[in-house]
Amino acid sequence: MAFKQVPQKFTAKINPLTIGEGADAITLGGENVLPFYSFDAAIDNAPKIGIEISDNGYAANIPGIAEFYAGAETLPEIAKKAAAAPGVDFLAISMEGAHPDNGDRPVDECAKLVSDIAAVVNIPIVIEGSRNVEKDAKLFEKLAEALQGKNVLFLSAREENYKSIAAAAGLAYSQKIGAESAVDINLAKQLNVLISQMGVKTDSVAMNLGSAAAGYGFEYVATTIDRVKSAALAQNDNMLQMPIVTPVASETWTVKESIVSEEDFPEWGSSEERGINMEIATAAACLAAGSNAVILRHPESVATVSKLIAALI
Amino acid sequence: MGKFIVIGERIHCISPVIKQAMDTRDPAPILKRAKEQIDAGATYLDVNIGPAEKGGEDLMKWAVQTIQSEFDNIPLCLDTANKKAIEAGISVYNRSKGKPIVNSADAGDRIENIDLAAANDAIVLALCSKAGISSDNDERMGYCQEMLERGMGLGMEPEDLWFDPLFLVIKGMQDKQMEVLSFIKDLADMGLNSSGGLSNCSNMMPKNIRPIIDSTMVAMAMFCGLTSAIANPSDLRLMETIRSADVIKNNTLYADSYLEI
Repeated sequence: MAFKQVPQKFTAKINPLTIGEGADAITLGGENVLPFYSFDAAIDNAPKIGIEISDNGYAANIPGIAEFYAGAETLPEIAKKAAAAPGVDFLAISMEGAHPDNGDRPVDECAKLVSDIAAVVNIPIVIEGSRNVEKDAKLFEKLAEALQGKNVLFLSAREENYKSIAAAAGLAYSQKIGAESAVDINLAKQLNVLISQMGVKTDSVAMNLGSAAAGYGFEYVATTIDRVKSAALAQNDNMLQMPIVTPVASETWTVKESIVSEEDFPEWGSSEERGINMEIATAAACLAAGSNAVILRHPESVATVSKLIAALI
Repeated sequence: MGKFIVIGERIHCISPVIKQAMDTRDPAPILKRAKEQIDAGATYLDVNIGPAEKGGEDLMKWAVQTIQSEFDNIPLCLDTANKKAIEAGISVYNRSKGKPIVNSADAGDRIENIDLAAANDAIVLALCSKAGISSDNDERMGYCQEMLERGMGLGMEPEDLWFDPLFLVIKGMQDKQMEVLSFIKDLADMGLNSSGGLSNCSNMMPKNIRPIIDSTMVAMAMFCGLTSAIANPSDLRLMETIRSADVIKNNTLYADSYLEI
């Protein structure tokens, strides 16, 4: 008997979320099929890749990265180089230097920095937090104001600070909100409910469901993303139909496999190659589980994952 | 499994307010009840225009368009003995949020409503009875098979036949309740969808008792595999029970605010 293909497309779909403005704007999500199942129905918006820099610059301790950014002195110059890397769809700025224990950069200074970047970069911008909930609440309010009209995604609205971030970034300045939970499906849904109850439209929200480097509890990340996607599509759960954005670099560039030196572990080979491989493997696994965007640091990882996506969709 | 589907039962011509609104084509009372039910969590709304032998076609068209245009094409269950009125309703029905439901067919005089559903790519509520109440589950299953075969013979997907076990009134038929639940389990084991008029089980009970009985019955029936019910979504206890059972069955992902959404 001939094989009869039954397309597994759902009546529900992931909300399309557009960030950035003008010709360089990108749209995350919008699909009504499982990740990469473009044989079931067209996937209009392929998963996107962000390149990550921070308010402190780039990861200068990684030789290849330092080489890539060579000649870029100021943050806007660094941002311009990052934005021009092959395969990049958006620029992610981690505000790590604003953390009280990590320099405590004042809010106004942060606003000046990101405004200067936004003035020279055309691709969409995603702001990652300082990882301090009190600081982020204040910081995002100011950055949302400074980046008015740029349609920026603020990635770290957490259980502790979603109210002020949703009110400022989401409602007052019409930016996009990323609800962040740490590998907790029930909290992920709850945060979306709470943010929508504040009046932020569900189609202005993305989810960061948490991440881990491959081998470091990644099974939990994969099953969380997977369960959320199936609730969104198969169960038509409109509190989980937000596109998923997964910061990968911040997890993979801290694990032993990526950072121990070749001198200490000669049998493991080049540490930079290991780091790139971890970043690519983790990103590929997140995309296969259902992330609509991943955030990477090494230009070589960006280029490779971009080729992977292009080959599959 | 998807979420339990509540078909809101409150747009019914047996209510004097609704009857008058239908007679005078006054949208306000109908839209008010529609909104209350949607806000309370109804997925479908039943639109019962009665036998509607005269003017039923016009009335059903008007009701479908009035409700769907106001509430983002909420899916509807077209409830009348007048087949032409159901067809007229479907002719103006917007199916972007779900197929129309034909309410209802049985294995007796109303079996042709299956043909109607098949011809119009609709869902049909199929009562597992012929004339009066089936005497046991063998009889119910016989009717179920008969209707399933008829629908599939006409090209329907099995999931578009929602079998109604017929909930029986507890006051008077207390000894039959477990049999009905067991039949729901049989339907679920066959992978079939099911629905029915839930509140029939609490008929003739005091007003304060009915929500308790209805919500207990729905929980037990959902455990057995019931996938939908025609019920009153404005009954808070009932809706809380359904939402909780949906969580326990993993039909919907839990969040602390699950009762609010």
